[in-house]
Amino acid sequence: MYDRFRSYNFKIDLDRDRRSNAPLTRRRAVLLGAAAGIGAVAAFGADPARAVLTVDVNRGNVQPMPIALPDFLTGSPPDGQSARGISQIITANLRRSGLFAPIDPAAFIERISDTDVQPRYPDWRAINAQALVTGRATRQPDGRMRVEFRLWDVFGATQLAGQQYFSTPDNFRRIAHIISDQIYERLTGEKGYFDSRIVFIDETGPKDRRIKRLAMMDQDGAGVRYLTNGSDLVLTPRFSPSTQEITYMSFGQGEPRVYLFNTETQQREIVGNFPGMTFSPRFTPDGQRVIMSLQQGANSNLFVMDLRSKATTRLTDTAAIDTSPCYSPDGSRICFESDRGGRPQIYIMSAGGGPAQRLSFGDESYSTPVWSPRGDLIAFTKQGQGSFAIGVMGVDGKGERILTEGFHNEGPTFAPNGRVLMFFRDPGGNTGPALHTIDITGRNELRVPTPSFASDPAWSPLLA
Amino acid sequence: MRTGYTISAIGHALVLGWGLVSFSAKPFEVPPADAVVADVISETEFSQLTAGSKTAQQTSKPTPVVDKIGDVKAPSKVPQLKVADKPEVQTETAPPPAPLQPDLKPPEQKLPESKPEPKPAPQPAAAEPKPEPDPIAEALRREEAKQKEEAKKLEEARKREEARKREEARRREEAKKREEVKSDLDRIETALLDKRAPQRQAVTGTMINPTPSLGSTTGNAPQLLQNEDARLQAMLNAQLASCWTPPVGVREAKGLVVHVSFSLNRDGSVSGQPIVTNRGSNPLFQIAAETAVRAVLSCHFRLPPSKYDSWQRVDASFDPIEMFGG
Repeated sequence: MYDRFRSYNFKIDLDRDRRSNAPLTRRRAVLLGAAAGIGAVAAFGADPARAVLTVDVNRGNVQPMPIALPDFLTGSPPDGQSARGISQIITANLRRSGLFAPIDPAAFIERISDTDVQPRYPDWRAINAQALVTGRATRQPDGRMRVEFRLWDVFGATQLAGQQYFSTPDNFRRIAHIISDQIYERLTGEKGYFDSRIVFIDETGPKDRRIKRLAMMDQDGAGVRYLTNGSDLVLTPRFSPSTQEITYMSFGQGEPRVYLFNTETQQREIVGNFPGMTFSPRFTPDGQRVIMSLQQGANSNLFVMDLRSKATTRLTDTAAIDTSPCYSPDGSRICFESDRGGRPQIYIMSAGGGPAQRLSFGDESYSTPVWSPRGDLIAFTKQGQGSFAIGVMGVDGKGERILTEGFHNEGPTFAPNGRVLMFFRDPGGNTGPALHTIDITGRNELRVPTPSFASDPAWSPLLA
Repeated sequence: MRTGYTISAIGHALVLGWGLVSFSAKPFEVPPADAVVADVISETEFSQLTAGSKTAQQTSKPTPVVDKIGDVKAPSKVPQLKVADKPEVQTETAPPPAPLQPDLKPPEQKLPESKPEPKPAPQPAAAEPKPEPDPIAEALRREEAKQKEEAKKLEEARKREEARKREEARRREEAKKREEVKSDLDRIETALLDKRAPQRQAVTGTMINPTPSLGSTTGNAPQLLQNEDARLQAMLNAQLASCWTPPVGVREAKGLVVHVSFSLNRDGSVSGQPIVTNRGSNPLFQIAAETAVRAVLSCHFRLPPSKYDSWQRVDASFDPIEMFGG
């Protein structure tokens, strides 16, 4: 046994010698492979699974967005006023919309000196600005003015929008409105409404001898122009939804006439003589035809007239007063006011005529319906128990909401984005009517500045 | 030999391969661990912390952590454990108590005997006044000597009695002390015993006390229970809701749900950039996503740092449908 043991040991020694001399045996290869495998497993290094907290946020804070609007830079001193004016117009527009809260420039930390470099975001975050607008207005060698702007996301540290515009130097107001629309649209997702005009009836003089002139101005109250001289009584101007044309009624020598006025060309033409007309016609969405109500005896019915051919089509034939018609934005339906149910209520009808569907049901009188350019709401005047209210309802008649109430509110008209309503209010007594705007949520009622008393506003589509 | 190598190599490869595959298949699930805030301090700091103040008020007994109101279980009565009786230690200074008793009696007996003697003694002295004055005087002298002796004896007896009494008093005191020591030991023993009723999860008490009081012997480390998670969710929800301005130009609020994932630092600031993890069908989705990201970035979060591990990573979903009525 001892011998066997010894020989066994001897054998192992021999083998060991042989193994140590061999460069890479199979065993070594396997060992290396194993080491590599273990290393790979260790390298995967399972991340310690950490719990992720899930949160569902269903309510937010409806508050104006804080935005910083430092003065636009300028290349040349003469344009400094224009540059500052642009910033101020943009600031006023955004503030008036009720959705933005421009930050007081005295609180700014960084002084913008170059619009082509990124701003120092921590400075703007410190004053809690969520967006920043920087811009520059410079005069080109050819006499035109170049205005450029950049919209920055302060917390996301990126540029959201940037544009440049070329125009004549005295057109800086319009450029400011266009830039305001860009900023509004980029931050809210809604189309803007700042680059638009208001046409209204300007009233001056004592109450018993009011002089009424047709006037037009920018939506912020600047640039008032008078389109008539006041010798004739003018009423209810209406804007075309797609062209820059107005229809209005003028009581000249006895009989009321409907005029068509092109604001861009300043051309005026007579649409026709319409005895017994009380409201001006309204345009179809394409601006080629107008719809109107014509009185016959004790009744009043709706007619559509082509502006070029003057061909007239009757739409309603009822023993009732159907008046104040208005088209839907797609032109397929009309809404109008009718007292066929006893009291003035709002009805909807197909644009080609036919049966009418009643929308409003109430003890009060509903009048002057207008269809929102977004197509989702109809605004109206509601009169009852001595008070006049401006309200909106869905196109199915549901969801009626009163936005403002008082004496005497009338004549709502929608902004081009369907978000803001303008109407006029006549408090009575010794004062006269004034124009007011209100958001369709009922918030942010503001008075529109006019040189004198004003009534019957109509909002133009976007000018661009 | 070669076959041996081959077999060995194949066997090793199989084992390692199986190990690799089986390792990567299952993710290592770590249950949420107890988050205990720990600080490293030096010994001097520790002694300073625990030094206390000699003039400080004595605080009441520390209240335990209580999650639910329930019956307060009084600590169960621990049977008095007696320390074994030690045998009395007899010292040599104390004289044995027994022999004192019989000593008292003989002097008392002697006294009444000695008293009648002086009475009859003067009578015979008076009866025989003249002829034997010397025997009377001798008798008187003898009487005096006896009286002195008896007085001495009385004195000694009295002294012995006093000594005995003192001895008894001392013994009584020692017995009392031993009793006191015994009760102290009892108290210590009962104090060392665990009086807690067997409890499983929550401690019940008369008043809800969510924080463990310092110095309580029965306090637990803060556990991350289900309601803790809900509390954190509620806090985060409220803070995000106050920072979020939903998109305003919303006609239809469908398809505007935005999911944002972000990580937070311990001080509540956002680390890195929040990521929008979904796509919406609504054309206003980009605007809605921007409002959600802006809400996260502009918010100053205030969350308990002790639970940082639970709120470090957040998946928030912003849905404006309730605000716009869908």
